[in-house]
Amino acid sequence: MKIIYVEQDRCLACRNCERVCSFQRAGGFRQENTNIWVHIDLDARSIFTMTCLQCESAICMEVCPATALQRNPETKAVTVNEHQCVGCKMCIAACPFGCLHFENLRQVAVKCDLCDGDPACVKTCMAGALHYADINELAQRKRRKIDLKLSKHPFFLQGLFPK
Amino acid sequence: MKVATNASTKILPTLCRMCETRCAINVHLKDDVIVNITPFKNHPVNRGRMCPRGIAAIDLFYHPERILKPLKKMPDGRFQEISREQAIDEIADQLQSIKAGHGARCVGVWKGEGAGFYQQEDYARRFVHAFGSPNYFSNDSACYNGRYLGHSLVTGFWNPFPDFSVADLILLFGTNPPICHPPFMREFADAKEKGAKLVVIDPRLNPVACYADVFAQPYPGTDGALCWGLIRHLIETKNYDTQLVEQYVVGFEKIAAYAQRFTPEYVEKQSGIYAGVVEEIGQLIIKNRPRISFFAGAGLEHHENGVNNIRALAILGCLAGTLGLKSGLFWPEEMGGRKLTLYDQISLESEGPIGADKFPALYDLRKECHSMTAMDYMLGKGAYPLKAMVVTAANPAVTNPNTTKVIEALSALDLLVVNDFFLTPTAKLAHYVLPAATFLERSEIHYFPNKQIVNLTAKIQHIPGVENEYRLWHDLAHRLGFGEKYFPWNSEADVNRWILEPTDITLEELARHPEGLVYKPIRYQKFKNQLVPTPSGKLEFASSYLKNLGLSEIPEYIPPYHIRCAKENYPFVLTTGARKSLFYHSRHQNIPRFRTIHPEAFVEMHPDDAAQLNIQHNEMVRVSSEIGTLDIRVCIRHRSELRKGVIEIYHGWEQWPVNLLTYDALNDPISGFPLLKGVPVRIDKIDASTSAEHQPDAACTT
Ligand code: SF4
Repeated sequence: MKIIYVEQDRCLACRNCERVCSFQRAGGFRQENTNIWVHIDLDARSIFTMTCLQCESAICMEVCPATALQRNPETKAVTVNEHQCVGCKMCIAACPFGCLHFENLRQVAVKCDLCDGDPACVKTCMAGALHYADINELAQRKRRKIDLKLSKHPFFLQGLFPK
Repeated sequence: MKVATNASTKILPTLCRMCETRCAINVHLKDDVIVNITPFKNHPVNRGRMCPRGIAAIDLFYHPERILKPLKKMPDGRFQEISREQAIDEIADQLQSIKAGHGARCVGVWKGEGAGFYQQEDYARRFVHAFGSPNYFSNDSACYNGRYLGHSLVTGFWNPFPDFSVADLILLFGTNPPICHPPFMREFADAKEKGAKLVVIDPRLNPVACYADVFAQPYPGTDGALCWGLIRHLIETKNYDTQLVEQYVVGFEKIAAYAQRFTPEYVEKQSGIYAGVVEEIGQLIIKNRPRISFFAGAGLEHHENGVNNIRALAILGCLAGTLGLKSGLFWPEEMGGRKLTLYDQISLESEGPIGADKFPALYDLRKECHSMTAMDYMLGKGAYPLKAMVVTAANPAVTNPNTTKVIEALSALDLLVVNDFFLTPTAKLAHYVLPAATFLERSEIHYFPNKQIVNLTAKIQHIPGVENEYRLWHDLAHRLGFGEKYFPWNSEADVNRWILEPTDITLEELARHPEGLVYKPIRYQKFKNQLVPTPSGKLEFASSYLKNLGLSEIPEYIPPYHIRCAKENYPFVLTTGARKSLFYHSRHQNIPRFRTIHPEAFVEMHPDDAAQLNIQHNEMVRVSSEIGTLDIRVCIRHRSELRKGVIEIYHGWEQWPVNLLTYDALNDPISGFPLLKGVPVRIDKIDASTSAEHQPDAACTT
């Protein structure tokens, strides 16, 4: 299954993803309307970016009393059927990551739906930190990176028992 | 609006020009309407990604405020729509009579960022030269030229963009790449994945500093002291490219002697960067040379000591051995196409190009006149009067320093023609306003020198009555009688063919390659077999060219004005020009969805400064300099974002022009650049009730 994953060590906090996400849904920008968010901590000098991971057993889907949260058969994204949503906000309370929010205008819950398989945030991530792919690709990427760094390390360059 | 299209339902690849990065994009048309813009997959610049500004080209193209008909200012000051024929006729007549009465040089042309560079710039240069005037002005007077000169005076060339992805160490000075050069982000991340270190030096802590291994926050305008400190560190520890210095350098002894005073402690005193950090950066350079990318942003050039600071940085790059490397000071080659400019055919140097007497290097190296001095000529205080100006997609009434004077000067012209998309503050001063075409309405050749790639853009739309720059210069030239000779081509395709003729690339071939074509194979370290294009043919650590002009032979560090001439009644230092993520200078601020992110201007302050003045977040204050005053709201930033005593205001707001405060006449002696980042100012509270009715915006986002 393809999801949007973040390669945290490539994110420079340009915030393009937040903006296009909000733009395409609401025309304008409101921080609380984005389904992806970049947290910049100036005290810790850290950057952390997060979006919905489309959980396999999604708690938002499980708690929804109106079965408004459904899995898209094609993209496998957990999506909100806005006609069925009763606005009870249970899903928002249940999601441990804060990946759903309440749209006050339409009075429904909103979450990342992977833009029907062509996520706008990924296309705008010029750092190449966002990917739309199988999560195991992230593991591969991490392995490649650590290989690159370790292979330069004297320990490996000189063999296990340097002269 | 009525639109004629080349294809009704189609996806057309071209290049984005919402900023100068020029990412490759796909424009989606449905029934003649642009419905979407998506990234083009296979271009090496943006590699299938694009920024939100680029997508907003739709908002620009269909903007309800776009000017679609020529406007003429009537005696009562109002604009009236006229036909394009009438506009061109009347403008040409007036240009002709000014030429007859006062001489051709009393007419100038000013090309703005909104028009673009390369071919758009060359059209403007060609037109004004063919008309008989040397007076070509551009936005480069306050951006780019300073860095171009700083590097060229040392190495003879400048390639603005190293390939960061292959560097072991990246040092950024005064730049915020995630906003101003988005594709750099990928290169930084690629380099860091391979273990590279990133050093960010900036008076303002931008998020990119969170991504850096070392962040140093100098006082504005003191980067030169740091560069000299690093030069000293390399020389003292004998960790520099000795072979390069022996064979290819003039003036090493002079800089070595001058560098001695820049001990880490002295650098700390000048720049505020801790001595230990200076040494740490020095050690990083030693450890990682020669694969180091030094990159200076516009932050370094907007000072009256800018060029020397940049020269010092270029020297540092040479000493570290980065010359000619992919990751360093790579010397690109030109394609070898025909040039539209006429400098080789007609010399107008004897006509007294404006500013060439005060800033000879600017005219010698860039063939560019000095836009700040032009204001004096418009006001009748020059060697001759500047009577008319044709401005295309430039907005000096907002972006040039000393707004009050700029407006006075532009208003004094006998003829001001402005070709633009919108009725900007500059256009409002014009006698004639012509509707400008966006980048989607022209086909032109683009270069990416660092990759030696050439691209052709596609003309995607044509709005009847709205003509592009080529047609503007073509039609004016024909009406003025030099069209046959200098603008003989009927279409842009003909011009493009003429440019390409001496090369082995054809227009058709170029059109088939939206991913761009490499026009010449890249050769690194050319300086080993070929003299560098400086007067001496060597790397000029000391420049006899500058010495002969009475300027500093080596790039002496001159402390910035706010330190040199500290004034008690102006205790703060104002920097301007830090980027807003979705604007591009004064462009894009009328795109409504962008305004939900950047709703209004503010002055950014350190919390301690605000507390000391008893100023609240969002309160309206008055900022004053020796030049003028501006009323603006306060945004109190995180305490690490700015140093105490340093404040920042964005430079492009039409409604809150910070250039009311900036100096036009405190210039860098080499580039003529104005002092925009380091202006002594005062902050005064205004009547507190003005703040009460304002609904505070949540974040004052940058
Ligand atoms: S960075 Fe953005 S605005 Fe600039 S060229 Fe690329 S897509 Fe266009």
